[in-house]
Amino acid sequence: MRSIFRFSMLVFGLLAMAGLLAPTGALGVKEVKIGVIYPLTGGAAAAGRELRAGVELATKIANGVMADLPMTMAQNSGIKNLGGAKIKLIFKDHEGNPTLGADLAKKLILDDKVDGILGCYFSSVTKTVSAVCEQYNVPMINASSTSPALTKRGLKWFWRTTPHDKWFTKDLFELLKGLTEGKVQGVKAVPKKEIKNLASACEKTEWGSHVSGLIKEFAKEYGFKLRKSFLYAAKSADLSSEVRSLKASRADVMLFASYTSDAILMVKTLKAQKAHPKVIWGQDAGFEKPEFRSTLGDSISGILTRTVFLPKVVEIKKLAGQVNALYKKKTGNDLGGASARAFTGLQTWVAVLEKAGSTKPADIQAAANAIYIPGKELVVPWKGIKFSTSGDELGQNILGSGLIGQYQKGKDGKISLEIVYPFDVSSADMIFPFAGF
Amino acid sequence: METIRNALDFSDFPRLDLTVAGAVSIAFVVFPLFPHSAFAMATMIQFLMFSLYGMGWNTIGGYGGQVDLGKAQYVGIGAYTTAVMLIRWDVPFWVSMPIGMCLAVGWSFIIGYPLFRLKGHYFAIATIASTLVLKDIFEVWGFVGAARGLEISPIKYNPPDFLRLIFRDDIYYFYTILGFFFLGIFYINWFRKSRLGFQLRSIKDNEDVARSLGINVHWAKVKTYAIATAFVSMVGSFHACYIKSIEPEDTMSLDISILIALMAMLGGAGSLWGPIIGAGILIPLKSYLKEWLGAQAGLVGIDLIIYAGIIMLISAFEPRGIWGIVEKIRRRTRS
Repeated sequence: MRSIFRFSMLVFGLLAMAGLLAPTGALGVKEVKIGVIYPLTGGAAAAGRELRAGVELATKIANGVMADLPMTMAQNSGIKNLGGAKIKLIFKDHEGNPTLGADLAKKLILDDKVDGILGCYFSSVTKTVSAVCEQYNVPMINASSTSPALTKRGLKWFWRTTPHDKWFTKDLFELLKGLTEGKVQGVKAVPKKEIKNLASACEKTEWGSHVSGLIKEFAKEYGFKLRKSFLYAAKSADLSSEVRSLKASRADVMLFASYTSDAILMVKTLKAQKAHPKVIWGQDAGFEKPEFRSTLGDSISGILTRTVFLPKVVEIKKLAGQVNALYKKKTGNDLGGASARAFTGLQTWVAVLEKAGSTKPADIQAAANAIYIPGKELVVPWKGIKFSTSGDELGQNILGSGLIGQYQKGKDGKISLEIVYPFDVSSADMIFPFAGF
Repeated sequence: METIRNALDFSDFPRLDLTVAGAVSIAFVVFPLFPHSAFAMATMIQFLMFSLYGMGWNTIGGYGGQVDLGKAQYVGIGAYTTAVMLIRWDVPFWVSMPIGMCLAVGWSFIIGYPLFRLKGHYFAIATIASTLVLKDIFEVWGFVGAARGLEISPIKYNPPDFLRLIFRDDIYYFYTILGFFFLGIFYINWFRKSRLGFQLRSIKDNEDVARSLGINVHWAKVKTYAIATAFVSMVGSFHACYIKSIEPEDTMSLDISILIALMAMLGGAGSLWGPIIGAGILIPLKSYLKEWLGAQAGLVGIDLIIYAGIIMLISAFEPRGIWGIVEKIRRRTRS
């Protein structure tokens, strides 16, 4: 009996010593799993590839050390306050389908046990995925869906870093107003009657329909006449009747909210039908993708697009130039609005986890609500990231801002985007009117 | 009483079929009791939903031989009725669902009456057109949220809410749709042996002969179209509560219409088990191919190629679908 007692004491003693000697990190978090839901197939696959590359680059920087990059996440290997835990990404493809997005969110939360979610680009999918996250009290950061309604639902587990379409659309009308006031670099004041007539064509899901509504609202507010406004299916194989309708409106300014394949098709059809408005403006998305440029070539010279990042930003922001170089090495393309925002989304996740020092949802929630990332740490030209915690836009970053770029042919013969708005950071004279195709 | 007895009477099926069906039914009922992933549960719910869509389509498309490619409009009517009534007037699911079915059936009479003057390809094209028209109307109709659609607030209700069908855990949705699934099987079992069922099969075989026998061909088609519609609308109502966010592009798209017809055709149109087999193969195949070969594996798009390849193979091998293959094997074994 005594020998059994002694043997038991010995075993307990060894176990206790093993416990004391074990490194404390062994009990800590080894990795933080972030579920990333993007459209990787279908019409927006090109955007999906860009978003994925942006997130992967940010993860590589966060998990390693790149001391020359002036951002906190590049100085530590992994999440410092979680014992150096690495970020592990689990990608899912929602195909632009809100129902599939919701199912994938459940899978990520319940099966893969992710600590948080990042996504989903399509506002319609972000809506269903954020609803699932809200049900399960799992934090979700959105970096690239711009429908204003998303942050007006009072959700407590949803944060959005990107500015939304209300701000972007206002920027467009400020540019048009600036044209009439002679504020645009390289353009003399244009009489308002020359650009008074507008027409808009927007794809008909959550995002496009909201943009269409905002264009109507701001056109009225700024005293422009919206002669034609309609929605179309982004999956359409033919947009000739839509373009005929736009042409028939005799609009001076044509405004679009399109994803990649339809943006390309729209411009091709405008070209085929010899449309000749004075201004063509795209609400980011398809109008800013590398495929838009490579497919349409020189014919896009003079087309405007709103964005949150242009390669020209590297001239005014050193950090953007450094990250852009890394991105170009990885993909062969410059950072764009989608990839830069996806990068910023993952960077925000890292900052939130550092502040929380835990993967408990409640700690992450408190950290996200209190976080402040200064603008100097971001690749996008924003004042920073700070989420609204009261009012009717819960979880919206209040320090974001937009840019408007114009495709111009450089001296080297290459088409690139030049900043034309905000006026104080213009990088080139604006081409006005649009020279035609 | 006679109707219930007919609905529960499966005695004309071979014993093997009934044994398999019974075993599968028990497996469905006990499925949630065994360890399973949330993804498997979501796939099961999708399978049951598409089985019901397919059963509805099978009445007019399978037994009646009328290729209907416009079922998405009725999914939309059901989904929107439930969502609008819940969001605007807080009407429970169990009240809004039958109202949605009535509205869909009413609309099906309006659409079906002139459409069944057409035959063959013309009828199929007309059904597509009618869906696209209704979808376009919904996309500009502010009352139903226009193109942005409607969202059942994720924070307003306290799940589990059995009246409004608002749950957090999918197990509740699973058993609800499973209940509809069994009711659907019993109904179709009754339907295929009903007077209308026999009339339809004779119309499918030879419309002129059916007419000469005194069958009101046009009216029989319109009535069956309404039955198919009621099924689809019922699942549409369920879809609204399950996903909690609907928009025309997602709920009433041509993709949905084609998927519904594809599942039933691939499984075996005109047979009780066909739509269930079709959905049982295509839904898990699509979900799991994407899971194994999709985004995480870095083989984006390969899953879709394999999925399409399998559909083409089955169609080429036996145009009557998988049930056709089963029957072919059976005939060979007998002979």
